[in-house]
Amino acid sequence: MEAIKNLLFRMADDELIYGHRMSEWTGMGPIMEEDIAYSSMAQDKIGHALANYSILEKEFQTAIPDKLAFFRKENELMNSQLVELSNHEYDFSLVRHFLFDHADFIRYEMLSTSSFVPLAQLSKKIKGELKYHVLHADTWLTRLGNATEESHARMQSALNELWNYALGIFEPSDYEAQLIAEKIFDGEKVLQRKWMEKISPIIEKANLKIPSSSTPVYGGRKGYHTDQLQPLLTEMAEVISSEAEGTEW
Amino acid sequence: MYGGGYIQEEKQEATSPIDDSQKLAEFEARIDRGEKIEPHDWMPADYRKQLIRMIEQHAHSEVIGALPEGTWITRAPGFRRKLALIAKVQDEIGHAHLLYSAAETLGKSREQMINDLLTGKSKYSNVFNYPAKTWADVTVIGFLIDAGAIVNQVANSKGSYGPYCRALERICYEESFHLKQGHDAFITLATGTKAQHDMLQDALNRWWKPIMHFHGPPDKISEHTAKLMRWKVKMATNDDMRNQFLDMYVPKILEIGITIPDPNLKKNEATGQWEFSDPDWDEFKRVINGDGPCNAERLAVRQYVEEHGKWVRTAMMNPNQKVVIPFA
Amino acid sequence: MSKIPLNTPVLDPRIKRVDLESTYGTTAIGENEHWISWEVFHQKKRGDQHVHVGIVHAPDAQLALLFAKEQFGRRLACVNLWVTKSSDIFSFSYDDEDIFDNATAPEKQYREASGFRVMEKINRYKKSKQKA
Ligand SMILES: [Fe+2]
Ligand SMILES: [Fe+2]
Repeated sequence: MEAIKNLLFRMADDELIYGHRMSEWTGMGPIMEEDIAYSSMAQDKIGHALANYSILEKEFQTAIPDKLAFFRKENELMNSQLVELSNHEYDFSLVRHFLFDHADFIRYEMLSTSSFVPLAQLSKKIKGELKYHVLHADTWLTRLGNATEESHARMQSALNELWNYALGIFEPSDYEAQLIAEKIFDGEKVLQRKWMEKISPIIEKANLKIPSSSTPVYGGRKGYHTDQLQPLLTEMAEVISSEAEGTEW
Repeated sequence: MYGGGYIQEEKQEATSPIDDSQKLAEFEARIDRGEKIEPHDWMPADYRKQLIRMIEQHAHSEVIGALPEGTWITRAPGFRRKLALIAKVQDEIGHAHLLYSAAETLGKSREQMINDLLTGKSKYSNVFNYPAKTWADVTVIGFLIDAGAIVNQVANSKGSYGPYCRALERICYEESFHLKQGHDAFITLATGTKAQHDMLQDALNRWWKPIMHFHGPPDKISEHTAKLMRWKVKMATNDDMRNQFLDMYVPKILEIGITIPDPNLKKNEATGQWEFSDPDWDEFKRVINGDGPCNAERLAVRQYVEEHGKWVRTAMMNPNQKVVIPFA
Repeated sequence: MSKIPLNTPVLDPRIKRVDLESTYGTTAIGENEHWISWEVFHQKKRGDQHVHVGIVHAPDAQLALLFAKEQFGRRLACVNLWVTKSSDIFSFSYDDEDIFDNATAPEKQYREASGFRVMEKINRYKKSKQKA
């Protein structure tokens, strides 16, 4: 049970924080059409977080989703540090989108046959949304990687900056063996391998290079975060925490 | 036949004045019959000009309107409000997109329109020059500003220009969600804790003046309405729209225990017209001419956004592609 | 560079984080910077026609499809979209609207089912048989 709960929190926290970051682009995108696309993905991600928190509430009698998302302390959040980093410019956001969404897509694909039925069901339900996110990311990455000198340089430097954080997505939990044994989830190691196989040719197509040396940034999954998460959480909870928990808004 | 050759430059009608008067008669007869004008139709230069001006301003209002509400996107309380607010602001950008497209069919490029917004040459709805100070402001905007916009947009969707009507049809459908989510959030605050209620009352007090300004100056001081109404560019007078808005929404504000900060606001049952204190049209003029609380910030934000998106847009430009007027 | 004449403090935390001054008064959108336009056709369900619903601006067909999906497929039921460059659409002029005038005119009833009265003839025949 703790194993599944841990997995659900990791996923939900990733999606919440990442969706929140994406929503910061709403009304601020580089062109209207893309602004609209980003807002949709932000909604999808936050919706996936909500779905996972709802599974926690329903199956494991945790607090309600609003409490899980808006009232937990920074060191209780299990998101990878990748998703909490500030948006910076569009290049940074796009490359993170590419790196994160491929992992997210494959994770859910792996979960589609999970012995934990609620996750298998969720996986089927959101498959199409994730497919679009990946298609969107691939299209942009390959375009901008090959377009101008500036856009190529921007993509490459964002990739360099984000690479170690992206590897942090796959920080193993204390429950890997159990999740695998109980056929809930094949584990972060398999996920990372599949992810590498999937993104490498696309990065190549985008005329970009994967940084040669890599040190995964771990910690996020255990509640250790960068200094960029707390301000996000404070901001996110500013209104809802101005009244007693459970107040309707 | 029109096709790939219908380029921006072709928009001037080279006809003699005699042809023009005949064409004008046909044009007006078509409008009188309730038929729509389509992009490639002959149209009086002034009709084109006024429509571009109006649709473009409408589009700018959607883009700028995303900013006051966007102020609270990262702070929306709870999943439901967070998701609804992102979706709502997203729709507004979507509306801008639809409206710029409609205006483009009249021969002005989106780039030109946005440039005119950035330089302040082209206006947008005055209300968005006011700040959204608290979460309650978002509910006032979502409920009452969108309600005001709906009165206006429903009227205009019966206008004469096909592409604008089509865009408005879709926009009105989405606006009904905006209004409902705004109303829902508004009621929640009005009937919630004392602090929530007070926050809402304070927001409404601050927004009432801009709300009264929303449909524009009274008919007696607004210009060139008659011709625009004959051509069905404008479908209702400012006063009529304001009156309709007050008819529909004053009761909805009062019924949940919120008061309106105007002791003189009341409906004259004999005339059917609402009476109210002078909403300070001098302030309206001042703000529209640039001196409102947020004018400078709004434009500065758009400039920032456009400047920082430039490298993405220019990276993807193809110099060999020929821009043509869309058929939308 | 001039300073932004802010009359009130910036309230949006997203905006507070950026340096607005850095771009103030300097931006202009170049010609073609918003790319070309694509006409979008939307199919609501299998079996339905694709219907024209509007345009998107995009640098190429793939991005046009991605954008069309969000602007025209996010709120309405949809199974498929087409995009084509606006410059590849050809149309009649509305000045020639009259060439379609008589499509449904009464004179063309000979090609409508309602233009034929077979029951009348059958009844006439049956009546004449009875008499005989
Ligand atoms: Fe709108
Ligand atoms: Fe709206």
